[in-house]
Amino acid sequence: MSTMPDPRPRVRADYRTIEGQFCPSCRWRTFSIVGHCAQCGTPMVATEFGPAGTVWSSTVVRVPVPGRVPPYAVGYVDFDNGPRVLCHLDAIETRPPVGARVAICGSTADGDVLVELTS
Amino acid sequence: MNAAVTGVGTSFFGKQPDLHPNELVWRAVAEALAEADDPTIDAIYLGTVFGSPGVAQRALHHMGLTGIPIITVENACASGTTAFHEAAKMVELGRFENVLAVGVEKMTDNFAGAIHPESTDPEGRSGLALPSLYALAATRYQALYGLTDEDLARVSVKNHGHAVHNDRAQHRTPHTVDEVLASRMIADPLTLLQCCPIADGAAAAVLSAPKGSADEIVVRSSVLKSGGLWDYRSEHVWGFELVSATARAAYEAAGIGPTDVDVVECHDAFTIGEIVTTEALGLAHEGEGALLLRTGHTTVGGPQPVNPSGGLLSRGHPLGATGLAQVAEIVWQLRGDAGVRQVDDARIGLVETMGGGVAGIDGNACVVALLERT
Repeated sequence: MSTMPDPRPRVRADYRTIEGQFCPSCRWRTFSIVGHCAQCGTPMVATEFGPAGTVWSSTVVRVPVPGRVPPYAVGYVDFDNGPRVLCHLDAIETRPPVGARVAICGSTADGDVLVELTS
Repeated sequence: MNAAVTGVGTSFFGKQPDLHPNELVWRAVAEALAEADDPTIDAIYLGTVFGSPGVAQRALHHMGLTGIPIITVENACASGTTAFHEAAKMVELGRFENVLAVGVEKMTDNFAGAIHPESTDPEGRSGLALPSLYALAATRYQALYGLTDEDLARVSVKNHGHAVHNDRAQHRTPHTVDEVLASRMIADPLTLLQCCPIADGAAAAVLSAPKGSADEIVVRSSVLKSGGLWDYRSEHVWGFELVSATARAAYEAAGIGPTDVDVVECHDAFTIGEIVTTEALGLAHEGEGALLLRTGHTTVGGPQPVNPSGGLLSRGHPLGATGLAQVAEIVWQLRGDAGVRQVDDARIGLVETMGGGVAGIDGNACVVALLERT
């Protein structure tokens, strides 16, 4: 495993939201902690995103990846108030449908953002 | 564009763990130089992703290729085509007279299974292997456009069918839709036979100024772009906009359009990749890429064959070598040297390679090149 800083979204202590940043000028949003807006260069402001979002797409990873035990379901989630985030889905071995509603429910044991289906 | 391809060559593509990368390079470069009548090479661009430091000079000095500029480039899956693009541009600009473009990769030294993005990126750290990244695109297409599992499998069936006649390809066994769908699930909905295999290989091309003679293979245009931001505002699947923008610029520079293209080699690392790419190249409207497969439009014998070599799905995908293997196939097709898989009267060919892995952008790099037989 890398010794580099963990680049994944950070789930807050409430287990319902993730840390993030937004641009006060053009409103661009990201979960990455970056100094300046990738759109317009304005200094970014801290915020939080979640808990609810919509599945943009999904899959189930069934091949070994270093440090992981397949299978596990992952999906891009468009949060209602925030960015598109790659999330893990709890205890699901089939693809959650595109358009399904989900909400943050914590982190996986490996430290990934964990969401559960709410519809 | 003022550049011509005067020679191409490739090694065999496949798992060759006992071969040194030097040997792969020698086989490809020797063939390309011989085809070009052994010109004096003024500069070399070599594409590789996982090659060890000095991989270019380590191989090339044994061929007497020393004392000239040798530049190693990395652009993920588009590394080989980036080397080709830069070589063509340098000839066009007059900086060098005869430039060698090379691509090489020894994948079996680095991977036993699926490639995964760097753990410095959120996707890589989250356990997303490359097949899963494409699977996310496939799932989205299935929801938006009604793309079926069978449509995806048809890409694999077509390209494996083409590769039966390519003795440089790793997998030359034809498959049915049922066989493709019954193979092991890798990342839903992509099964094993919808994923390109690991391979070792090298490929090369010699670029020089056109002589103005008949039956030359000239580069009508070549465009290299990197991807813009890909985030919550992106409606298209990852990579679509980058390939589309690169293709538009290449068509415009060549003064032609998608209907003028006779044969295509594109980046089919995964079946969904060919469907999305053929749409981005303008061969089909968005969401209608599967029609090209259902109607035989992109099969050899159809109006616009795509991946007559068998593509990455059959040839295998040594990342740095792939782009130049695509160039070699298009050159053979335009010369009429492709044997049983020859596309009838091919005059204009298109090469497209798109490489990714960096999270948050629409792809690390894409090259689209248009080649023509004069």
